[in-house]
Amino acid sequence: MTDRDMIVCRCEEVTYGELVDTAGQFACNSRELKLRTRAGMGYCGGRTCRSLVDAIALAATERDVTQITLKYQPPVRPVHFGDLGAIPND
Amino acid sequence: MRDLIIIGSGPAGLTAAITAAEHGLDILVIDEYLKPGGRLLGQLYEEPGGNWWNGIEESRKLAGRASSLGLDIRLGISVHNIEQIDGSWLVHADCETFETKSLLLATGAAEAPVAIPGWTLPGVMSVGAAQVMTNVHRVKPGQRGVIIGVNVLSSAIAMELKIADVEVAAIALPKTNQVNGKAANPSEVMNALLHVSHMAPSPLVKMGSKLMTNDFMKRMGITLYPKNGVRMWDIPVMLRKAVIRIEGTDQVEGVTLATVTAEGKIIPGTEEVIGCDFVCIAGGLYPLAELAALTGCPFYHIDELGGFVPLHSEDMRTPLDGLYVAGNITGIEGAKVAMSQGKTAALAIAKDHGQDIADTSLSEAVRQISSTRSDAHIQFHSEVEAGRRKLQEYWEQHAAGMRNVMV
Ligand SMILES: Cc1cc2nc3c(=O)[nH]c(=O)nc-3n(C[C@H](O)[C@H](O)[C@H](O)COP(=O)(O)OP(=O)(O)OC[C@H]3O[C@@H](n4cnc5c(N)ncnc54)[C@H](O)[C@@H]3O)c2cc1C
Repeated sequence: MTDRDMIVCRCEEVTYGELVDTAGQFACNSRELKLRTRAGMGYCGGRTCRSLVDAIALAATERDVTQITLKYQPPVRPVHFGDLGAIPND
Repeated sequence: MRDLIIIGSGPAGLTAAITAAEHGLDILVIDEYLKPGGRLLGQLYEEPGGNWWNGIEESRKLAGRASSLGLDIRLGISVHNIEQIDGSWLVHADCETFETKSLLLATGAAEAPVAIPGWTLPGVMSVGAAQVMTNVHRVKPGQRGVIIGVNVLSSAIAMELKIADVEVAAIALPKTNQVNGKAANPSEVMNALLHVSHMAPSPLVKMGSKLMTNDFMKRMGITLYPKNGVRMWDIPVMLRKAVIRIEGTDQVEGVTLATVTAEGKIIPGTEEVIGCDFVCIAGGLYPLAELAALTGCPFYHIDELGGFVPLHSEDMRTPLDGLYVAGNITGIEGAKVAMSQGKTAALAIAKDHGQDIADTSLSEAVRQISSTRSDAHIQFHSEVEAGRRKLQEYWEQHAAGMRNVMV
């Protein structure tokens, strides 16, 4: 196995080759790289691959120190649909 | 509605809970793990001077004090969202939502990976997972392992594995690629290790102190570094060999190592396979700030603190009303610093709740964070104090900006 075939985002099965090519072709930031490849958009919310996707995008773009590169969205943990509508009890 | 909800029952969260309870606040602590103690639970190492830091014992002490104060600690529940509505905070956990006036985020740190072909095979785990299996659950992660990534955390955990009679065949670098960055560069890694010398393998430090004098010597040091590594507790620490592939069909069977140049380039023809049944990935730690990031709290990326951290003052207040932070969410440091931050946060919160907290006790608590930091036996980044100063500057800029808006 080479680096190119190596899976970076396990949830969405995105390879290193796909990420590097996309970043190279569009000189995109992490957010755009995520949207183009779906890396970091799966079940775990990017918990495992976030820093790797970031590193690939940073090769072509500058870091903005005031902006978290891959935005966090609620829910930050997997939740059942049924539980999302819970009513405060405390 | 509670006075205070604390998310995270690690050393920061528990210390904060104990301090706040002593000042009469009504508190709820939430943690998604099944035991209180957070990352403290896995820690076991000898401090210079011969004392052992036993995280399980320390966690037990904290949990014992918490229960004698009658603290409400709910375990096994994950918080997936927080929001501020009409001056109070809603904390959305698995199936329940809790309301509180003040909210302390003490969610600790997360592990960053390095990526190597074969890293998705069963038997590959983060080095922290191996630590939790071994020290918390008392399950061997395997018979013989290889650790990829040479840093303070991986050398500490290698020794813990050794104590548990799990063989560590090698600690080696990851191969160079676009995601592994400095972790794959022998010179950079050697530099970083020599600067946090308390935890670095001691033969390396002995050799290194001579080499720190100038860049030429440093380059010579890594060039002369033994290809088969320097032994630390009988484990070869390889700064001139990188794992280029993890081998196995259905699970880990070994790794392929290759010798690398001082810059991390593979020297062709040097590949060798060594057998193992598990592999640990050690890419370092970063502050787990996901919940804070949902609130609109400003963030700054500070390398010395491990990544993006929520803006906060020395007494652990964020710019948002009723929102506080403590522990590794504010920057990667050892457990004792996390405790002193937890105490400070609790005093600030109690004061904001109208409790009689003298300004001097709060400033004394802030001073204790600094002194704990300078006495710390474990340091994840050599320039952590500079990182803290940067953050303080950002805080002052922010406060000045707010004053201008008010005028
Ligand atoms: C793998 C690993 C190994 C480490 N080893 C050492 C070591 O050997 N020595 C050392 O000094 N330091 C070590 N550290 C650093 C460690 O982070 C600090 O020592 C200290 O534990 C930080 O304390 P804390 O209270 O900030 O966070 P933690 O101890 O990490 O506690 C945070 C708690 O928050 C909980 N939590 C997080 N998010 C949520 C959520 N959304 N909902 C509910 N609960 C949540 C977690 O379950 C956890 O129990 C290690 C860190 C890691 C990640």
